[in-house]
Amino acid sequence: MTEQAWHLLPGIHPETSKFPARTTLDNEGIIVFRTQQGFRGVQRTCPHMQSTLMAAELIANDTMLRCPMHIFTFKLSDGKGVNCPGFRLRVYEIKQEENALYGRSIG
Amino acid sequence: MSQRSILKGAHVIDPLQGIDRITDVVINDGKIETVGPTKDDATTPVMDFSGHYLSPGWVDLHVHTYGTLGFADPDSLGVYQGVTTFVEAGGPGIGTIDEFLAVMTGLETSLYAGPFIRPMGLLGLNYIEGDVRSLGEVPITRWVDFAKQNRDMLRYLKCNAIGDYGPGTLQITKGLANILHLPLYMHIGEFQMQNPEHLLAYEAFKIAEKGDMITHLYHGNLGKVVDDEGKVFPVVWEAQKRGVLFDLGFGGYNFSWDVAEKSWAQGLVPETISSDLQQFNVVRPVKSLANVLSVMMRLGMTLQQVIERVTCNPAKALFLSDRAGSLKPGMPADITVFRVDSGEFELSDCYQKSRTAEKQVVPVVTFKNGRRIDVDLERAQDESNWFLQIAEDHIPAAAGRFTGRELSFLRALASGLDKTEWELGSGERLDIEKAIELQEVFHRVRHEQAMPLRDALFAVYDCFMDKRFTMQMGLFLFRLERPFALARLREIAGDAGIQSHAGSAQVIA
Repeated sequence: MTEQAWHLLPGIHPETSKFPARTTLDNEGIIVFRTQQGFRGVQRTCPHMQSTLMAAELIANDTMLRCPMHIFTFKLSDGKGVNCPGFRLRVYEIKQEENALYGRSIG
Repeated sequence: MSQRSILKGAHVIDPLQGIDRITDVVINDGKIETVGPTKDDATTPVMDFSGHYLSPGWVDLHVHTYGTLGFADPDSLGVYQGVTTFVEAGGPGIGTIDEFLAVMTGLETSLYAGPFIRPMGLLGLNYIEGDVRSLGEVPITRWVDFAKQNRDMLRYLKCNAIGDYGPGTLQITKGLANILHLPLYMHIGEFQMQNPEHLLAYEAFKIAEKGDMITHLYHGNLGKVVDDEGKVFPVVWEAQKRGVLFDLGFGGYNFSWDVAEKSWAQGLVPETISSDLQQFNVVRPVKSLANVLSVMMRLGMTLQQVIERVTCNPAKALFLSDRAGSLKPGMPADITVFRVDSGEFELSDCYQKSRTAEKQVVPVVTFKNGRRIDVDLERAQDESNWFLQIAEDHIPAAAGRFTGRELSFLRALASGLDKTEWELGSGERLDIEKAIELQEVFHRVRHEQAMPLRDALFAVYDCFMDKRFTMQMGLFLFRLERPFALARLREIAGDAGIQSHAGSAQVIA
C-alpha cells in the first residue's frame, strides 16, 4: 500500500465553509463532510445511480453515509457498502492544518 | 374467534358486489356474515366506523417479503398497512423455495409466492438479472413436483423482460408457466445504466397471453410503454386486447409521472395496483400501498377504481376470488378500514418529480379473518425493518442462546465453507455458480447434521444479524466476507479441529 500525497483542497475553509462542501482533490470532484470524528471526503455521486451525495445523510454516529435516493449506505472508514454489497464509495482522508484542509486518497 | 361483531356506519366499497354506500358489515367466526343495515342487539359488540371507508382487505400482488430485497418484519407491509394478502414477487426460485417456505411462516398476512424463473430466485443486490438462457437451468420435473405439492402457494411465475439476452428467457418462462398452469408475470423496464441493443419489454407484450401479467406499466426507464412522442406503442394495445393484464408495480424505479400521465390520457390504465415494496424503496418513494393508491387517485382514478384494483381485480388475476377481494357472505373477514383525507399532499414518483394531491388514502384498521389489527404505518418505516446490517463488531444476542446441536451444525458449516473460496468483488456480474456452491455446502452440512431447514437457516442468520432478514442462503453467505464469516462461525461455535476444547456452549456463555 503506497502512501498517498496530501493535496490542498481549494475553495473550502474549515471554519467558514458550510458542510458538506464541494471541492476537488487532484482534479477529482469530491464532497467533504464534517463528522464527529473530523472531516471526511467522498466521491460526489452515489456509485449506485450517480445521484449527488450533497443531500446524503450521516448516520450511525457519523460512521456511515446514506444516499437518500435508495438508502444505499456506505461505511466512511473504507467506503464499503453496508446494505449494498458489491458497491463501494471512494472515500478520502481529510486533515486540517491551520486554516486549510488537505485531502488524500485512501489505499 | 367465534365472536360476532357489527362494523357500523362506514362507507362500504365492494366493487365486486357493486356496493358503494354507507351501511353495516357483520362479521362472525372470522367470516363475513352480511353487508347491509343491521340492528344492534344487546350482545353483539359494535365498532363504529362512521366517517371512514371500508373495503375488502387489500391485496398487494407484488411485494418483497423475502430475499435480498426483503424486510425483517414482512407483516409491516401487510396487515399493518391495510393489506390482508400479498404475493412475494420473485424472491425464491425452484432452488430456494424450500428455504422460503421454511422461514416465511407465522405471518398474520396471507402470503403467496410468485417464484422467479432462475433457480436461485431474484438476485437483487443490483446485479444484472435475466440470465436464464438454457433449459438446463430450469429443472422442469422439480417444478412440476413442487407445484403438485404446493399448488396453493403458487400464484404466478416471474421473469424479467430485460437485458441483452434475447427473448429466450421469456419463452422458457412462458413455457414453464403453461406446464404449471400459472400466469406469467413479467417485469419490464431496464435497470439502472443498462442499455441493451434490443429491448425485451416489447417482446414481453408479444409473448404474454390472456391472464398473463406485465408489471411496472408506467416505468420511465428504457422499454417504456410510450414512444418518444408519448404515444402508447401498438404492441401494448394489442396485448391488452388479448386479455393481458397490466399491473402498476410502483417500486423504487418503476413509476414516472410523465409516463403515467401520457398513458392515462390515452386510456392505458393498469388493472391491478401493486406496491413493489422493497427495503430500498419503503422510505421513499413507495412508502405504502396506500400511498400508491393516493398517487393513482391524483392521476385521475376514482376511489372506487383504485379499490377495485387492490381487491377484486388482483384476487381474480391470482385465482384467489374464493377467499379474497370481496365481502360476500362466507368469505374470510378480511377488511380494510380507511380514511380519505383532504389537504395538500406531495406525491413523488421514482424520478424526483412530484405532484400535489388534494386527497390522501390512509388505512386505519385491518381485520384479518375477523381479528382487528390497528394500522401502524411507522412499523414499515422503522430502520431496523429495512436496513440490513451485518453485525460486524459484535455477536448478535440470539447466538448466545444456541443449543449444542446448533453449535455443532455451525462448526461443521465453518469447516465445510473453509474448503471453498469466495469473494463478492464488485461490479454488475454476480458469480452465481459460487453462490450456488455455498448454498450446496450449507444444505450438505445440514443434512449431515440432521438439522431441520428452518433451524439451520435461523442459526446462520443469528450469527450475523441482530434482526433476521430472510434470504437465499447462497446469496447470504456470498455477501459476507469470507475471512469474517469463518471467524465469526468459529468464534461462536468453536473450531471443528479443536472440538474437544471449544465445542461447548460455554464458549459464548
